[in-house]
Amino acid sequence: MLEIVIASGKGGVGKSTLSSTLALILGKNGEKVVAVDADAEAPNLHLIFGVKEWEIVKDYREGWIAKIRYEKCDNCGICEKECPFKAIKLVDDKYVINEMICEGCLTCSIACPQRAIYRVRTSSGLLRAGKTPYGFPIVGAKLAVGRPNSGKLVTEVKNLAKEIGGNDSYYIVDAAAGIGCQVVSSLAGANGVILVVEPTPASLNDVARLHKLVKHFMLPSAIVINKADINPDFIPEILRFAERENIQYLGKIPYDDKVPESLILMKPLIQVFPESPASKALIDISNRIYQEIILNWREWFRRYKPAKPEPYKPLIIRPDNIPGG
Amino acid sequence: MKKVSITGGKGGTGKSTVAVNLASIFSEYEETVLADLDVEGPVDHILLGIRLANESPVEIMLPFIDYSKCTSCGVCGKVCDTGAIVLSKEGKPFVFPRLCSGCRSCYFACPVKAISEGRRVLGYTYRTDLKYKKLTLVTGSLIEGEEHTSPVVLSARLRAEKTAKNLLLVDTSAGTGNTVSIALEGSDLVLAVTEPTPLGVHDLRMILELTNSMGLDTWVILNRAGIGPEDEVQKVVEEYGARLAARIPYSKEIVKSYVNRKPVVDLFPSSDISKIFRKLADEVKEVI
Repeated sequence: MLEIVIASGKGGVGKSTLSSTLALILGKNGEKVVAVDADAEAPNLHLIFGVKEWEIVKDYREGWIAKIRYEKCDNCGICEKECPFKAIKLVDDKYVINEMICEGCLTCSIACPQRAIYRVRTSSGLLRAGKTPYGFPIVGAKLAVGRPNSGKLVTEVKNLAKEIGGNDSYYIVDAAAGIGCQVVSSLAGANGVILVVEPTPASLNDVARLHKLVKHFMLPSAIVINKADINPDFIPEILRFAERENIQYLGKIPYDDKVPESLILMKPLIQVFPESPASKALIDISNRIYQEIILNWREWFRRYKPAKPEPYKPLIIRPDNIPGG
Repeated sequence: MKKVSITGGKGGTGKSTVAVNLASIFSEYEETVLADLDVEGPVDHILLGIRLANESPVEIMLPFIDYSKCTSCGVCGKVCDTGAIVLSKEGKPFVFPRLCSGCRSCYFACPVKAISEGRRVLGYTYRTDLKYKKLTLVTGSLIEGEEHTSPVVLSARLRAEKTAKNLLLVDTSAGTGNTVSIALEGSDLVLAVTEPTPLGVHDLRMILELTNSMGLDTWVILNRAGIGPEDEVQKVVEEYGARLAARIPYSKEIVKSYVNRKPVVDLFPSSDISKIFRKLADEVKEVI
């Protein structure tokens, strides 16, 4: 069992395209594989595989939301003042909780002197699993819009994936954009990371931020340059970054009109346009990941694990009145 | 003060490109603040070719327990939703800073007032004035390794709102969760940038669901127009009562401006792309 995360920091650089290709290549090599969509806020991997129906759909009701009992409320305004997320506002002489912002903590209900606030369970979204037309399962989630803590949902997605795939599957985890809780949950417990970058300063900036997080988890990583020909002059800078950080360079993928065309057909690029330039590059890179990383994981881990860990050191300011530890 | 937010659901559809170009156009006429609230990967300063300045930390509350007062009643551990307070067998509470969201429930719940408010830095906000324009960029940035994004988004938004006098443009992160809704809160107009692919359409539907339930007027900007059929986008736009406000074709100029760290309206002012941005800016100005 191995868990490989595809991540990029920046959105729209080709994570799902690479994830889908890699899963297909593993499948074609007779391996058991599970495609895991770890972006619950903008889940797209199933669309690349053309998955239209889910075999398992579970309501995920982990979240809370605050409610006001207006018959008890005396409009003192303490809840508005204390809400850490500024989710409470006075509207037409009534305090109203913005359900698109409330994180469901207990602060307002405890702070309220009238005990006028309580909280109720709310649907945070749904977990789902199905089969791709290519024989292997896909697991994902959809966060209810405006809800917090998508990271917890991603952890649930990974748990469900493992229930389905068992101990002898390879897990290809397609991470969300960013470096927040969804990505942290994707990296936790993983065995390696494939970074996807575009040759632009913005994309390298985001990948460098993401890589700091990867180093927190002491994970080895490899890098793929997508849309390499849109700005080839910038490629040396990416290669220098990879070398400095001991990241394996796996190759580059050209910009290719066939990529959006395959998305519109809702079929993976390598299935519909196997001869297109991006297809060939993606197949080469996926084969390298299979041979050099997945089948050779112990050695790869030793060779590319971060030289020094990036320990988590929270920046803490102590209160004056508490001495010692 | 008027607030216009740029969002989209899917990542990489062109939110920041639209944001910096509109900001550049508006700032020719009036003082404009652009807030980069994609705090997990802020890049507007890179697209504008500037260095961030005026750093200010984003702090949230971190509980400190005075064990001389603590009676090991366990209430703090019960009200903590994030697992940041763990109780020993004897009921003695221990705090794990990384998991704490700073909500202060424990502080209010402790019956013997044994919890004091320390602080923890989650990220930073910046305020950078552009030299050649009436444009100020306010940026939020999460520290790598922290996962509580929303306080940084909120803090950067509040700093931007305090700075803005006439016009505030907000560039949100990808996604449809509460880090996006916190950024959108109070917008007079939302621009949702998407692309004509099933992925773009799927995430556009989610973001329109969000803006509709927040009661925010939303226009759709179709980026990379021409790479695929647009009837599905059109259908979703109508279904949610939005308006298709602009079509931006794929262009080499945008890629060039993106890598040259200068908005396309400044680098190629007479290009067709710049005309599209100017027309969009005029329409936005009219409604707000």
